[in-house]
Amino acid sequence: MQVSLTRINKRFGSVQVLKDVDLVFPSRKFVTLLGPSGCGKTTLLRMIAGLEDITAGSIRFGEREVNKLAPRDRNIAMVFQSYALYPQMSVRRNLGYGLRVRGTPKADIEEAVGRVARILEIDHLLDRKPAQLSGGQRQRVALGRAMVRKPDIFLMDEPLSNLDAKLRVTMRGELRRFHLDLDATTIYVTHDQLEAMTMSDLIAVMHQGVVQQFGTPAEVYSQPANVFVAGFIGSPPMNFLPGTIDAGRFTFADAKLPLPALPGGVKPAHAAILGVRPQDLIFEGTPAADTLTGTISLVELLGSEKLVEVNLSGQKRMSVQIHADMVVNMGDRVHVKFDPQRVHVFDTESGRSLRAG
Amino acid sequence: MSRLNFLSSDRFVGLVFIAPFVVTALVFMVYPIAEAVRMSFFSYNPLRPDLTSFVGLANFEFVFSDPLFWDSFRQATIWTLLSIVFQTVFGVSIALLLHRALFGMAFFRGLLLFPYIVPTVVIALIWRWIFNPEIGVVNHFLLWVGLINEPVYWLSTPTMAMASTIMLNVWKYTPFVVICVLARLQTVPLELYDAAKVDGAGVIRRFLDVTLPQLREVLIVVIVFRTIWTFNKFEEIYLLTKGGPGTSTFNLAVYSFEQSMANLRVGVGAAAGVVMMIMLLVGSIVYLRIAGFGSEEK
Ligand SMILES: Nc1ncnc2c1ncn2[C@@H]1O[C@H](COP(=O)(O)OP(=O)(O)OP(=O)(O)O)[C@@H](O)[C@H]1O
Ligand SMILES: [Mg+2]
Repeated sequence: MQVSLTRINKRFGSVQVLKDVDLVFPSRKFVTLLGPSGCGKTTLLRMIAGLEDITAGSIRFGEREVNKLAPRDRNIAMVFQSYALYPQMSVRRNLGYGLRVRGTPKADIEEAVGRVARILEIDHLLDRKPAQLSGGQRQRVALGRAMVRKPDIFLMDEPLSNLDAKLRVTMRGELRRFHLDLDATTIYVTHDQLEAMTMSDLIAVMHQGVVQQFGTPAEVYSQPANVFVAGFIGSPPMNFLPGTIDAGRFTFADAKLPLPALPGGVKPAHAAILGVRPQDLIFEGTPAADTLTGTISLVELLGSEKLVEVNLSGQKRMSVQIHADMVVNMGDRVHVKFDPQRVHVFDTESGRSLRAG
Repeated sequence: MSRLNFLSSDRFVGLVFIAPFVVTALVFMVYPIAEAVRMSFFSYNPLRPDLTSFVGLANFEFVFSDPLFWDSFRQATIWTLLSIVFQTVFGVSIALLLHRALFGMAFFRGLLLFPYIVPTVVIALIWRWIFNPEIGVVNHFLLWVGLINEPVYWLSTPTMAMASTIMLNVWKYTPFVVICVLARLQTVPLELYDAAKVDGAGVIRRFLDVTLPQLREVLIVVIVFRTIWTFNKFEEIYLLTKGGPGTSTFNLAVYSFEQSMANLRVGVGAAAGVVMMIMLLVGSIVYLRIAGFGSEEK
């Protein structure tokens, strides 16, 4: 089922929480709403579920507008951040609740609950109460409760945020698998960019109630539409240097760095921000026109990589990610080399990418 | 341990803190109960203390064979049962209403405490006026609206007197239920309601499957306390009807009082009090067991 949002606005009193959100979630895709805390992800998800009124705009499932439809009539299922399991009911009754409410025959409920419990490997927990489960088990029950009704649209609000780091990684894969089995459109909310990158077909990056970019993980990573997306996606975060563009070169301090073609249109002495990921920088033996010189102020071992912090002139710092075998020491003078094809250039005023055109 | 050490130890400080309560409890709770139990084995007339004598279980035999005791027991049960049922139903309903964030609810929440803080004597007197058959406002109103054709003798027929005492109790103590339930309602996780909505539950199912289970524990406690306090209640009945007409609104507290003060059989009154205490104790324990209080894990 395709979900289309057209110029969605949401106000709580005088606070504008969502501004002109236009998104189309293609049928059966895994789409993530990604953004920092308070940017309106949960609010948008609740509006799709029918739990929150729409101030302005329209939501359509397929061709049908659902603005006025009650949650129960939308054939959606939702996994809540707190799981929201009914505490007095056994796992079995929790799983079957949605079917029971809809008057499904007992035998069918029994069968559906059994099927989901087997998929999620919680058959041995069916007679327990939620309070007798671990966080991970509760999370599976919450998933199961959502899966049991065969919904058209599957909504999840940060379902992994209460799990420990290791379980989170395992569950990422599982959620992806369930999505493929389920045949539903999944809309997934998270503030964790790594989760979004690894699980999604499409990512909508949000900031302060506005969609900043909507695209595949590869697109938002390699062609960020603006400074916000560039800084939010990727770990360790992108380096930013303020400067000006003159005659196709980026001037920062006394260096003039070569730039890629900029179809975005450049004025003379255009104020711009250069963005480059730590992974895209290397150390060079000798200074050159396309290098910046600085001293190493910090070295962090990440495992197979090292993250090196370099102090440049003018109080600026950059981080450079190198192979762990490379020997570097604090205080070393280094020359950081840029690959013009791997830098991002943003207009200082609007924050928009000048590479996009 | 040296003396100085003890005086500055946590144990000593703890003892100092609980001492006032222990003393108060000993003087005002333990002593009267012990005295009542002792008295129930004696024949004692306050006007002839010289005739006081140990009579063994004779007072209890008297109580158990007194038809008035059993009438009082039956009436106390009816009065308690109906009071509690109405208080709980009204209490939960009003709490649900006040819980909604509607305009002006803060004002009504404030009003709630009103019946609770006015002394019972004042309320009983006002109610006697209100329910006065000739000049009372209730009859006036009902006649005027046309619901009745002739004055109702509120406090002078047995059924009406019982109904009036129940009404008074319900009016006065429903706020207690409202406050307890309201406090609990405010802690129910909102996501549970959202989950139920998505699952397809309507208003009634959401109440039965989300709200009510969350209220279970608080209702168990509220019902126990209200039952004990209502079963024991003396002043409301005595001030409103004096147990009458006849003995039709006697409960065990009124019975005990009448035996001690009117008939000067203090031993019998004490025995009735002891029986009442044991009934409540056993009743509460059995009820809490059946209700499974505390067995529910969080
Ligand atoms: N019922 C409400 N009344 C008023 N403001 C609200 C309400 N619900 C949310 N908001 C505001 O709307 C904004 C977006 O909230 P929302 O819960 O959608 O954020 P979020 O992106 O889900 O954040 P998080 O990652 O912390 O869950 C916040 O600024 C919040 O304060
Ligand atoms: Mg949220």
